[in-house]
Amino acid sequence: MDYAISILVNGIVQGSIYALMALGYSVIVGITGLVTFTHGEVMMMGAFASFYVFELFGSNILIGAIGSFIVCGILGIIIYKVCYERFLDAPRHIALICTIGASMIIKNMAQIVFGPNQKPMFGIFENQLIKIGPVQLSVLQLVILAIVVILALGLSLFFSKSKYGISMRAVSQDKTAASLMGLNVNANALLGNVIGCGLAGIAGMLISVYYQAFQATMGGPLGMKAFSASVLGGLTDSRFAALGGLFLGLIENFGIAVSSASFRDIFAFIFLILILIFKPQGFSKKGGIKL
Amino acid sequence: MSLLTVENLVVDYGHIHALLGINFHVDEGEIITLIGSNGAGKTTALMSISGMVKKTEGKITFLGQDITVMKPHNIARMGISHVPEGRKIFPELTVDENLKVGTIANPRYEKQRSLEARDRVYTLFPRLKERLNQGGGTLSGGEQQMLAIGRGLMMEPKLLILDEPSLGLAPNIVENIFELITRIRKDGITILLVEQNASMALSVADRGYVLETGKISLEGSGESLLVNEEVRRAYLGA
Ligand SMILES: Nc1ncnc2c1ncn2[C@@H]1O[C@H](COP(=O)(O)OP(=O)(O)OP(=O)(O)O)[C@@H](O)[C@H]1O
Ligand SMILES: [Mg+2]
Repeated sequence: MDYAISILVNGIVQGSIYALMALGYSVIVGITGLVTFTHGEVMMMGAFASFYVFELFGSNILIGAIGSFIVCGILGIIIYKVCYERFLDAPRHIALICTIGASMIIKNMAQIVFGPNQKPMFGIFENQLIKIGPVQLSVLQLVILAIVVILALGLSLFFSKSKYGISMRAVSQDKTAASLMGLNVNANALLGNVIGCGLAGIAGMLISVYYQAFQATMGGPLGMKAFSASVLGGLTDSRFAALGGLFLGLIENFGIAVSSASFRDIFAFIFLILILIFKPQGFSKKGGIKL
Repeated sequence: MSLLTVENLVVDYGHIHALLGINFHVDEGEIITLIGSNGAGKTTALMSISGMVKKTEGKITFLGQDITVMKPHNIARMGISHVPEGRKIFPELTVDENLKVGTIANPRYEKQRSLEARDRVYTLFPRLKERLNQGGGTLSGGEQQMLAIGRGLMMEPKLLILDEPSLGLAPNIVENIFELITRIRKDGITILLVEQNASMALSVADRGYVLETGKISLEGSGESLLVNEEVRRAYLGA
């Protein structure tokens, strides 16, 4: 019983990080209307950014989160300028191929600059356990859950209440109408990329802190998982994307429990393939960013 | 001086010539209508004004400023509100949010003022007020048209461009829309109207232009076009 609960807790914590990756992913796809394959590499850069922030400013997870958000937000601007800006009206595969190219460049540059090997991440919290009834979780797990919940609620508030959020939803739903209403489509799409990539950066930090390790090649499977989780919501519905992420974390952890930890990624991709076979359009009906 | 002038406008879509060099102008306070059959180039002319299509040749001036190559959102911010063909409501925004989008980019935007503008729209369209938290995409066609016009008015435009506002609406609602157009003009907003319903359009318009496969074939006051033999035969089914 205790064993099952601990798997559940691990699954939820891991799933919450996946949910954060997927949230960022759905914001980007929602606003540009185009799929991206750079998301995993952005997370990798987020992990590296946080490492250097911890090294420079000390092991404070909030400062790390801010640092990786800023670095990856800037990366988001570059990716937008290179892969999207001129291709918003072009055939969809052009931007898609461009993001694949950008992801390879980022990954290979990271290998050259930082080296190809796995590095240990700073331990941010003491390995202390908290007991809540029958549930036992570490301080780190609790902090990860709190960060993701706060970010998800903040994002939801931003999209429902602020004028920037409402403009971005308008742009994601109808670019022609949005232009005619005086909204700068380009600026909104850029902002969407900054937010989406910034969140991916924080997710990358959380993953590396959670596993106590990070490396230049970590992005590949992470990007595919962000994609898999978002597919559940037709790639643009943040609620379903977050649910998909949570679900993915649970499947992985229960899957490992009955097999071996080296099979971790298999479960995510079986999930992706099953969704693509049986529900390729996801569970959401219409396009555009949704709360 | 005219509010809007279009000179020698030529637009091509690849090898399709949509506009072959048209000239027209809209003066302050007027209701102007462009009529013409399907594919004549009416929507293209309007989209050119709003900067949504690339022009091959020609010059468009608004408030004395050359807007020929200006970006669409900057044109809108200068005071041109374009209610496009097919309404283009934001389907997943609520009625209230759809209206709010109209004020967000307004350079004269202030919270108080935007609330007043919204109240005016709700007075004009009580049906929208009853549905303010409903998704835009769930409204009926007529309600969506009201919302599209309301959203356009939220921008406090100097020039309101309407592309087939009566399309697909029941006859009594069409009458409401035309009544509304004259009422909007009384508030000091100039109107450029494209319509299939030529008799209605000409009867509210000060002047009209007839567009025929990319060229302006006739122009004149609303009344004179209404009794013109050619217009009656081609567009009024008489
Ligand atoms: N995006 C486009 N690409 C290619 N051709 C186009 C495009 N938009 C319009 N056209 C063509 O340009 C011509 C003018 O079209 P436009 O939409 O301006 O006509 P319209 O007068 O508004 O017609 P309707 O009354 O049916 O709305 C048509 O022949 C149309 O097929
Ligand atoms: Mg048209």
